[in-house]
Amino acid sequence: MNWRRMAGLDTLEADYAFRSSDATGYTSAKKIPDHWVPTTCGYCSVGCGIELGVKDGKAITSRPLAAHPVNRGKLCPKGLSEHYIIDVENRAKVPLLRKNGKLQRVAWDEALSTMVERFRETQAKYGPASLGVLSTGQLVTEEFYTLGKLVQLGFGTNNYDGNTTLCMSSAVSGYKNSFGSDGPPGAYEDLEKADVILLIGANIADNHPILCQYLDANPRKTLIVADPRVSKTAMMADLHLPLKPRSDLALANGIAHILIHHGLIDRGYIERHTTGFDELVRFLESYSPDRVSEITGLSEELLYKTAFAYGRAKAGFIGWTMGVNHSTLGTVTVNALCNLALLTGNIGRAGAAPFSITGQCNAMGTREAGFASSMPGYRKFDDTEHRAELSELWGIDEARLPGKRGLAYPDIIEAAVGKKIHALWIIATNPLVSFPNQDVLRQALSNLDFLVVQDCYHPTPTTELAHLVLPAAVWGEKEGTYTNSERRVSKVNKAVNPPGEARSDFDIFLAVAKKLGCQDELFPDWTSVEHAFEEWRRVSRGRLCDYSGISYQGLAEHGATQWPFPDCGVSSKRLYEDGHFETPDGRAKLICAEWQPFPEQPTRNYPLILNTGRTVEHWHTRTKTREVPILERLSPRAWLEMNPRDAKQLGLRSHDRVDVISQRGRVREIELRLTEIIAPGQVFMPFHFSETNVNEVTQSAFDPISREPNYKQCAVRVEPVGAKP
Amino acid sequence: MAQTGKVYVAQNHGRTLELPLLGSELVCVVTPSRSLISIEIETALPPLIPARPLEGGEQYRFHFDMTKCIGCKCCVVACNEQNGNPAAINWRRVGEIEGGYYPHTQRHHLSMGCNHCLEPSCLIGCPVEAYTKDPVTGVVIHSADACIGCQYCTWNCSYGVPQYNPERGVVGKCDMCHNRLGDGMAPACVEACPSGAIAIEIVNVAEWRSNYLSANAPGLPSADDSISTTRITLPVNLAPDTGRVDTQRIVPEHPHWPLVFMLVLTQLSAGAFATLWILDMLGNGASGSISVLGSLGLAGISLGAATLHLGRPIYAWRALKGLRRSWLSREVLSLSIFAGVAGIYAGMLFLHLHGRPVAGLMTVLCAAVGMMCSARIYMVPARPAWNSRYTVAEFFSTGLLLGPLFVLALDMQALGEWDRTWVARAAVMGGSAQLLTQVLKFLWLSRSEQFELRASALLLSGRLQRAFLIRLGLLIASGIALPLVIHSQLAAIATIVLAAIGEGFGRWLFFVSVVPKSMAAAFTKEGRAA
Repeated sequence: MNWRRMAGLDTLEADYAFRSSDATGYTSAKKIPDHWVPTTCGYCSVGCGIELGVKDGKAITSRPLAAHPVNRGKLCPKGLSEHYIIDVENRAKVPLLRKNGKLQRVAWDEALSTMVERFRETQAKYGPASLGVLSTGQLVTEEFYTLGKLVQLGFGTNNYDGNTTLCMSSAVSGYKNSFGSDGPPGAYEDLEKADVILLIGANIADNHPILCQYLDANPRKTLIVADPRVSKTAMMADLHLPLKPRSDLALANGIAHILIHHGLIDRGYIERHTTGFDELVRFLESYSPDRVSEITGLSEELLYKTAFAYGRAKAGFIGWTMGVNHSTLGTVTVNALCNLALLTGNIGRAGAAPFSITGQCNAMGTREAGFASSMPGYRKFDDTEHRAELSELWGIDEARLPGKRGLAYPDIIEAAVGKKIHALWIIATNPLVSFPNQDVLRQALSNLDFLVVQDCYHPTPTTELAHLVLPAAVWGEKEGTYTNSERRVSKVNKAVNPPGEARSDFDIFLAVAKKLGCQDELFPDWTSVEHAFEEWRRVSRGRLCDYSGISYQGLAEHGATQWPFPDCGVSSKRLYEDGHFETPDGRAKLICAEWQPFPEQPTRNYPLILNTGRTVEHWHTRTKTREVPILERLSPRAWLEMNPRDAKQLGLRSHDRVDVISQRGRVREIELRLTEIIAPGQVFMPFHFSETNVNEVTQSAFDPISREPNYKQCAVRVEPVGAKP
Repeated sequence: MAQTGKVYVAQNHGRTLELPLLGSELVCVVTPSRSLISIEIETALPPLIPARPLEGGEQYRFHFDMTKCIGCKCCVVACNEQNGNPAAINWRRVGEIEGGYYPHTQRHHLSMGCNHCLEPSCLIGCPVEAYTKDPVTGVVIHSADACIGCQYCTWNCSYGVPQYNPERGVVGKCDMCHNRLGDGMAPACVEACPSGAIAIEIVNVAEWRSNYLSANAPGLPSADDSISTTRITLPVNLAPDTGRVDTQRIVPEHPHWPLVFMLVLTQLSAGAFATLWILDMLGNGASGSISVLGSLGLAGISLGAATLHLGRPIYAWRALKGLRRSWLSREVLSLSIFAGVAGIYAGMLFLHLHGRPVAGLMTVLCAAVGMMCSARIYMVPARPAWNSRYTVAEFFSTGLLLGPLFVLALDMQALGEWDRTWVARAAVMGGSAQLLTQVLKFLWLSRSEQFELRASALLLSGRLQRAFLIRLGLLIASGIALPLVIHSQLAAIATIVLAAIGEGFGRWLFFVSVVPKSMAAAFTKEGRAA
């Protein structure tokens, strides 16, 4: 502190000055940028348009992109402060290679040579499949497309999956099984056009707050929210269904049972556009209201109310997120929800959709173009026609296309534990916070011969374990496109340069391809992301996710656009408007999905059911939002929600520090919050915080079809640590 | 942005749907046959800022619709960005209130900037007239240029609206973005809110003064303190037990060390001059020569120390501007006069001039007025544990305890046997009065119905228990037991040191154990900004 300040002179007057400008109005002078760069928010899949204000080469402010069709001039608190994630101390700025146990700065050339050499060595020694790649939902579509080709065709391993398996793979598998293809069929505006909206396991007020605008704009709706916790969204509901944890599938089947028994179904639609109705009717006999009431803990009256509301709706919307997906029954629960839409004909028209609200900003991009769980353009690994198409498009021998999907994310980890995967490349994800049952993950990573982590930030819990850290450009420093939950493709633009030697993921992939010697074959003459986009347009032509009518120029002129958009057609708001599905017979499948209790039931030693979720201020593993001072101020640490009735038995009080213990591990010293939001017998904690990581206690139980982890329910006990501070 | 309208869509099921929609543009609905139908929409956009200029007798105010708020805190982020504030300072805050039982639980959020009160307690208390209530808009505006960083406004506001920025040394607060309003633009919080929960309205001041019930909400202090103008729309069927979620988190307040020194030392000095005056009246004026100099010196030091409390000490002189309204200005003036008169009196004592009884009386009266002004500073509705006569009793008891002890300790050799006895007994009276004050105050706090008072008692008996017991122990030892048994000057000096430490401890507790009124906060919260 200087003497002038000590004496009381206003040394910071200039810092706190105000000024008016045409673009901003009267505001803090330091927040007036030289120019604005329109782009798309890099957090969640709502896909809001945003403008970054740039001054002297630094991003200094964010504001909603007024003309963007999604967010209508609003942003959530993360979007409003997104410029803070860019210019921060913890950015990865130079390549780091572990030498003698310590990460040391190396040149890019050495970094990439080492990486390719080590990967090649490993593959030569243990076979091509011994290399695993874990990607993300955070890159631009062009990067996903490039990475997919690089991994599958360049490195020749199909053990490649994304962290998207941790968040929406159940929706993907569910859609594939019910409709023959992935692809959310609805649009956000359905939320304002539906007269009945059923949200299941979706706390949009915390997780997708901008979507609440659509609900606000729909005064005639009946909002039904199924959530075991009285979430912010549940409190907005006209009808809250406080069901028992993971009884959602029984609820969906129970609703279907009532719909069928009371003739609240669209027989014409069922006959024309579905198969499996008779079997489903027989199957649903066992889901009588009294049994479903017992399973869900909901009164029969609530079940009837819900079923009748949805069944009588002129346009019924079903939205879900992780409450459904994070489950060993995720895929089949999605099927049961799709059944409801199919039985009532609530699909393919305004207000009517079974809609998976996705997590990450570009989870959709990797689903469509990423070449992990399917081949680009929702093509199937085992479909000869699809294989022939791709082999022709790319001019490569069909035999080089993988014959089947490789290992999914949790199975890659399992394979590393079993020493079948020996080298791993992790891109833009932080499993040391996000993967369930961290003990297993730590075991897996410690078994690896070589671990490459490509990230924008260092240190993160994951980069700290790497043998090689590749510094990547972050949102705001690179160009491309994101596709949001409603299949809307939005342009992402570069506002500032990456720090130090960090490079865009796209540049890194091309550089790796060059070292690998496959650049000319796979990415001939590619220099910019637009080259990748142009090829992706050709590859997606004629597919459900048809991008061929979308171009950078079109996006710049007309704004964000939904696929399918064939190059001589128009963009479609909804899929399946004609009732034609992507199955071989063109009909959607009604699927019999049997409910089962969740795998780890509470016991005497672990009497509480732990639920997990988020808070509006933070994003995923907090790598980005921990860098935003105002978000850290508003949500500085994790908490554990417990019902006061349970706390009384345990002699615990609000703000006590407690440990959460499962068979697998312990979360230490988390702040207890007593609240009636959570049911007796259950506890809840947010998953963003590495300091108190819920995944120390979550279990290794995965959906057999989608491989998505069952994050949402596991058995724990809660113990006090020390006395109140 | 939100607009509603009706659209009629022909469906392939022979049904006609009447559906509400939103859109600022002409909306196209794709029918199953993929033909496009254009629909005109009726717009009914509720204005978020007033559409007409203010008329006489009106002012702007916030309207907060709790039924719309989803607790996303966009308003907080937007406010900080608008005003360029560091993260620790939030001119708009969002609190939580909760009620009901699972599954019929309700949690609501309360977003609040400044309430631009009709009787702004921040403005009334400000010693430098840094606050103005805009005669046209009614917006309560704070001038960073005029502010000296005394933080008195932060004690006065029942909502905790003004916040001290230690980096800059001044206070700041929400000004309703009145400069934006003037340009026809919405304030940052209004513009950012995705739910349209915050709006600016026009209020008729006289009507509001006669009925401001809708300024109240669960989790907010009563609007009676300053007549908040913010209108709050509450949800219907609010659970009867709805209340703050942060009541289990009671944290000690800032200690304000310079003020601890200032208060204890001025009170000591006042007590010492009173003792000296009586000694002089009794004909033993010369016997207290060392303590005269000592207490005069301490009075001067304490006034100097007080400026260290300011964010901008160099502008301390401005504190005299608010004499018409501010007890802080009055304290500064009266204690300065006390120091001056005491100086004159001290000179007269040394020079054995005539008129000493009158000058001494004047000194004592000025001291009493100064101490009274000091006490009145703290007697504000926003700080319930201070807002009682115990504050006056505590301050005067300190003077009565420390003043005689100080004279005794410094001039023991010069004092006669009889003088020593009565001076020591006076100190014991002060000590006893202080003990009684502390005990009665604690009982009053702990038995109160009011949350803030009970919370203060909980701090004293919980987190601050050890400090409280030490304070009482020092008081009993040095203020009641020792003065009657000491005979050596060394023992007397030890006693006054112990007593002064005890009173310092007491004053520290006075500052840290007060639980201010405030709006409901969130459950987890970082430490206070200041």
